Amino acid sequence: MSDQPESGVLGPRKLCLVVDDSATVRRVAGRMLRELEIDVDEASDGQIALEKCLRLMPEVIVLDWNMPVLNGIEFLRSLRKLEDGEHPRVVFCTTNADVEHLREAFETGANDYIMKPFDALTLKSKVLKNIRSESNCTAGEILEAHR
Amino acid sequence: MTLEESIETRCIADLAFSNLQQLEIPATPEYYALWYEYHAGLNPSLQHTIDALISNRATFDQKTLDDLRANFLSLEKEKRAIHETSARVLETLKEVVAVADDANKDAHTFGDALSDLAATAFGRTIGNLTELIEELVCESQKMAGRSEYVSIRMRASADKIVALEENLENALRQASVDGLTGVANRKAFDTTLRRFAGEAMNSGDDLALLMIDIDHFKRVNDTWGHPTGDSILRYLAVALQQSVRGEDFVARYGGEEFAILLPRTGIVAAATVADNIRQCLLREPPRLDLVPPMTPITVSIGVANYDHGEPLTEWITRADTALYRAKKEGRDCVRSA
Repeated sequence: MSDQPESGVLGPRKLCLVVDDSATVRRVAGRMLRELEIDVDEASDGQIALEKCLRLMPEVIVLDWNMPVLNGIEFLRSLRKLEDGEHPRVVFCTTNADVEHLREAFETGANDYIMKPFDALTLKSKVLKNIRSESNCTAGEILEAHR
Repeated sequence: MTLEESIETRCIADLAFSNLQQLEIPATPEYYALWYEYHAGLNPSLQHTIDALISNRATFDQKTLDDLRANFLSLEKEKRAIHETSARVLETLKEVVAVADDANKDAHTFGDALSDLAATAFGRTIGNLTELIEELVCESQKMAGRSEYVSIRMRASADKIVALEENLENALRQASVDGLTGVANRKAFDTTLRRFAGEAMNSGDDLALLMIDIDHFKRVNDTWGHPTGDSILRYLAVALQQSVRGEDFVARYGGEEFAILLPRTGIVAAATVADNIRQCLLREPPRLDLVPPMTPITVSIGVANYDHGEPLTEWITRADTALYRAKKEGRDCVRSA
């Protein structure tokens, strides 16, 4: 077994963390994202997500906004304060694309957003777009390869 | 301005104009200012938000544009804040002054009456004292009466505000209601579809969609005329509303097509609801005295359950395909995706 991380089209495998209190969303998003060559982990609230980030900082975080214990915005604030907390790109999920809501999220440190309910194509292209790829492929080419 | 600055601003202006054209936004100074600001590169927060909206294929409708202006164009923000605050302060001041005026007048009157009575208190005999007390009580009651008048006036203003709010609510509701049948219109359906699907995705619950089409509707219009056709649409809308629960959502999807969303309903249960609708129409035909007499109205119904994570357009297509099968297989029936 090689010591190197498994390589995919994107270079060494990247980690995506799905943070959502809904088991259905975690399951569906996980299924969609595993079709790409990335590792997928999940957390059911912001607190657990923070603990996971402390152990291993993911490349991309898909973040639900309304959660119990520690909600999206609180998690994001705490995340950005961690050492290396600026590294993950955060795509937050929302059912409301109100400009004020978006602005608050971006000013707290989110990078992008995706509307709920999302479908496979939209989620995959969002995540790919936000992963810093070490390959020379564009997100579009990678998607095509996975169709 | 140097030549370079001038050229640069022209470039930004051109970009702003092409945005307005591409997105088919009215080229008013306000909207132009927004896109100019976006291209000028000095407002990263605005750029970030607009880029995210574009990447999510959001529509740049009037509300979104106005919200962007309100949130990001600082002059707009400040102007608006000042305007709102001063308007509110002015209103409150007016109210306070009005109430104080009234209270003042009353207090004066009351005070004067009391002083007068007090002045005459001395030198009154016991008999007169009774009279004095009666007068005091009378003046106090009058004062209480006037205070009540003031509160009635304040309550009337409050009532007016409530009525205005209700009017506004009604106007908003009308924008999402189909004028002919009174059920939700297509626009409201699209919004609600997305909302229900989002909730279903969160909860993991089932969500069913019924697509309902009147059989031979063209024949109805041709035989009895369009006014009768309209009555039939209204009749069907009523039948649909009566066949579903409070949390279900009925909408007019197109000319003679209706859609119903059934949250927390599996496909088998949804097909049963659909069949109930069919039977309801047979049991209670339209009560119209027509020549020739009207035949019972039947519908074809397609049923499809939301597959969590599927594109919404795909879900609707599956329901439509099931509806098409119902038509092909004889009409007056229900088919599930």
